[in-house]
Amino acid sequence: MIDVRNIVSPRKAAYRRPTTGPRIVSVGTATPPRKYTQDEVLDLFQEKDPKVRRLFQSSHIDTRYLYLPDAIDGRMAEETNQGLLDRHLDGALEIGPRAIEECLQPLGLAPYDIDFLCCVSTTGFVVPSLTAHLIKKMIFRENVQRIDVLGMGCNAAVNGLQVVTAFARANPGKLALLLCVEICSAAYVYNGSMVTAVVNSLFGDGAAAVVVRQDGADAWQQGPIVADYEPHIIPEALMAMRYTLEDTKLSFFLARDIPHEIGANVEKPLNRLLGRHGLKRKDIDHWLVHSGGAKVIDAVQYNVGLTEHQMRHTLAVLRNFGNLSSGSILFSFKELCREGVIGEGDLGIAIAMGPGTTIETALLTW
Amino acid sequence: MHPYETLKVVQQGNVVTAFLDRPDSRNSINMRMVNDLSHLVDAIDDAKDVSVLVLRGSTDVFTCGIDLHEFAAHEKRNIYGLQKWEHVCRELERLNKFTVAAVQGECTGGGFQLALSCDMRIAERRSVFRFDEVKLGFLPGMATFRLAKYIGFGRAKSIILTGRKVRAEEALSWGILDRVCDQVSFDETLTETVSDLLPFHPVALEMARRLLDESYATSYENFLGHFLAAQYRAINSEAFDRLVVGAAGQGKRSEVGRIGTARRRARGK
Repeated sequence: MIDVRNIVSPRKAAYRRPTTGPRIVSVGTATPPRKYTQDEVLDLFQEKDPKVRRLFQSSHIDTRYLYLPDAIDGRMAEETNQGLLDRHLDGALEIGPRAIEECLQPLGLAPYDIDFLCCVSTTGFVVPSLTAHLIKKMIFRENVQRIDVLGMGCNAAVNGLQVVTAFARANPGKLALLLCVEICSAAYVYNGSMVTAVVNSLFGDGAAAVVVRQDGADAWQQGPIVADYEPHIIPEALMAMRYTLEDTKLSFFLARDIPHEIGANVEKPLNRLLGRHGLKRKDIDHWLVHSGGAKVIDAVQYNVGLTEHQMRHTLAVLRNFGNLSSGSILFSFKELCREGVIGEGDLGIAIAMGPGTTIETALLTW
Repeated sequence: MHPYETLKVVQQGNVVTAFLDRPDSRNSINMRMVNDLSHLVDAIDDAKDVSVLVLRGSTDVFTCGIDLHEFAAHEKRNIYGLQKWEHVCRELERLNKFTVAAVQGECTGGGFQLALSCDMRIAERRSVFRFDEVKLGFLPGMATFRLAKYIGFGRAKSIILTGRKVRAEEALSWGILDRVCDQVSFDETLTETVSDLLPFHPVALEMARRLLDESYATSYENFLGHFLAAQYRAINSEAFDRLVVGAAGQGKRSEVGRIGTARRRARGK
């Protein structure tokens, strides 16, 4: 009798999986201490508009972790821009270190061991940058190389990975750490419009960290090699996702057509990425798609032809955390690793979309 | 086409016909056939010059079902072969081309499931459909999932639990089959069935199939989201492009112009 477990498609069998390369060897995540249901957020802001209430309730989100201030006499106080900037930095320096610790601990590493630190955040702006703050707070080495990735939005985990994997590839044996930390509740503006209501109903706070290294002693059990990347940018949709200035506060704007725009373009980078490795979608075992929102998830799912099962982590992360912006696909990655379904030779695709308008893809090999 | 041990494959124009071909065992489905089908479906998926895949058996038997010789006789049997089989049925069901099952004679177990996985099913009048697995002491695979969607719970229960034979006429009246014909007109009916499916618009086909597949399983709100994503894709496909450009370029009376006329009428002009 044929052992069917060894039967893979001829394409997948022909694909020469890299045996060395930058590997994601650990992942950690953290969220703010307080969790809110959509109804709790609506009640906190005493939202009466039925359209806004419906929007929150049909978001496919059950809960989000947020740094929201306490209500005073049942009302939310008007917030200053300084207050929002403080919330971003304070929040980032609370959950960022927790995600890093959870990521380093299983490897028996301390911040002091890290050679390269990359920090991704779009939800606040601070000088000196977050890496400098984290180095002081967590005692990284004084000669750690670092980079801060700002303003790239939801797709930025993949852009950050490009940076840390390039470092790891150029410096075998050295350790690179990527932190995506987004305090989306520091970019909330309440002005009663549907534009801000969409943002306020969707985004959640969270941090995710991964360690990447290229080490000949590591095997698939340690984690996947990031084998390749393929970006796709849509210049015509430059302004579809952007910050606008609302008085003194940055307010995020999401154009209505984004899900469709993403859906219509998502196959392009995917076909290029798979095509140059002689692979097809059906050869991919694991999908990590950014939990951008119900509509964009539908658009990706239908255009790529993915099943609910293949989207399970994307949907679960949206349901439990909301749109975590850059950290989102790393939360999905952690869920996937926890499931215990990954086998040797498995292939994975990460897809993250964000402002630009851009779709970033990566090929992972176990 | 690649030569297969258990399939005879011929291509005529944009129609590929695969004959299940294990004459010594009434076309029973063994692992070799499962793998051959898997490779065939994969190749058809890539083929740019194919619109329809037809699955056929011999003139008196489509297939008698799963080949029991594939199971180890005196040791613990694993599930992986059956898992692979289900995978192939799913790939067939979601193939980016039209699929037709053309049944003559016996169509039992796995063969019945293959037919249910196709877009259309035609059969010769003397054909007999049957799920005998429960009678034999195992299960008819994911046919338990598919059959009830075609014919409702009660009828599916009766067919699967009693293992009774369903004649072609009965299968036709229940909506399992799309056409039934006599032996002499079988090829002609098959040709008609295939031409009814054309023209072939891959995007519309795939999207419509996926949505239909969800119809008993999703809430209206979720379905609506999926539908809008799918329809956006369809109205931006090449086929729809041609339709709209054609409608704009041609007069009111033409075939494609009707949409525009209906719209103008709706606006009261």
